[in-house]
Amino acid sequence: MTLQFGPILEQWPYLLGGAALSLWIAVLAFACAMPIGLLCAALLHYGPPAMRRLVAAYVIFATNTPQLVQIFFLFFGLPEVGIILSPFTAVLIGATFNAGAYLCEIQRAGFASVRRTEIEAAEVLGFSRLQIIRHVILPHVMKAMFPPLSNQFIVVTLGTSMASIFGVEELTGRSDNLGAETYLSVEAYGVAAVIYVAMTLIATCVLALSGRLVCRAKMNIV
Amino acid sequence: MIRAAALFSYYDLTLLLEGFLTTFALSLIGCLGGFVLGFAAAILRTTRSRVMAPVRAALFVYAMFLRRVPFLVTLMLVFYATQSLHANLPTFAVASISICLIAAAYLGEITRGGLESVHANQWQGARALNFSHWQTLRYVIVPQAWRVILPPTFGFLVMVIKDTALASQIGVMELTAAGKVLGNKGVPAVLVYGAILMLYFSMSYPLARLGKHVERRLAAARNH
Repeated sequence: MTLQFGPILEQWPYLLGGAALSLWIAVLAFACAMPIGLLCAALLHYGPPAMRRLVAAYVIFATNTPQLVQIFFLFFGLPEVGIILSPFTAVLIGATFNAGAYLCEIQRAGFASVRRTEIEAAEVLGFSRLQIIRHVILPHVMKAMFPPLSNQFIVVTLGTSMASIFGVEELTGRSDNLGAETYLSVEAYGVAAVIYVAMTLIATCVLALSGRLVCRAKMNIV
Repeated sequence: MIRAAALFSYYDLTLLLEGFLTTFALSLIGCLGGFVLGFAAAILRTTRSRVMAPVRAALFVYAMFLRRVPFLVTLMLVFYATQSLHANLPTFAVASISICLIAAAYLGEITRGGLESVHANQWQGARALNFSHWQTLRYVIVPQAWRVILPPTFGFLVMVIKDTALASQIGVMELTAAGKVLGNKGVPAVLVYGAILMLYFSMSYPLARLGKHVERRLAAARNH
């Protein structure tokens, strides 16, 4: 077996376009999942008991079942009740549903890491409620949450490869196409793997840098 | 109602059961293989000799790469690589190999983090007592690292169970693939995939609970 990377590498604009779509799905899913996670974390803390149990059930269910089967359920199950989703939408909803549960866990833990004594100290110093949130709680929470959140973003990015199964032509889908056209599947997937590594490494570096500048969060890049 | 009852025909139930057992076997192989390989990789990375430097570098690159490639891509890569090498492996073996590869990368990192969490003083103390490298690991470092390693390990093992769903893509007849077969037979998709989701849940939730339990026990032991 000899590897021929030439025909695959010739198609680099096609593959990079796929990588951009992968990243776009991940950004969209993450952006939609963040408020869901925040709302769920808030409900877990302050909601009425019934609501708390519902949110807890959602988190447990979503984190203990495969994302792939969740998307299958949306994509093939919902048409039976008259809701037809495009592959892109189904994947996006599935990824958001899944990420929302993990982000809820992360944000809950982040808020729980604020100690009662910190808030009491701020109260003693005469901080108003808003000032406490602005100067005590938020800096602490952001510093604590930033590393796990950026890790989760990488997990979401890797999870978007499932979109190829539903016919979305992102990076995995496009390398599959190239492999089928050229009969060079090993090379096509190999190049895709390298692009994934490069893509997530760049994302981690950008996140680590902005985390250090904005939230004073210390992160390891590798 | 009649269509719902169709799911519970004898053939369908055996298909689901076989899928369940295949998923269980894949998960078990992935968990055990990944744990052993990952532990070995982490131990090898604690070595300090110059002879082992290339091995350490290779393990570093391995762990960094595999954790940044989607499991689906790893799976396809192993699948096509074994095919083009004309190694006619059954798809179950291909899926097992891929899962072990990726689990070794993640669990290796978790274990390494645990080993590094033990304070350097412990290494020095053991050295002063004339412990060899392996004795230090065996009697000093690993017993202390254990409580840092175990909680995230359980978290990752749940991931392994969920990742096995992707093995359906290369034709392993596990739970997800069984669901697809039933769906194509005309059983309502809501019912099929609802049942499949519940079956996955029944596998991973006990493990997640066990992990939480172990975590609480370890945290209680640490606070003494």
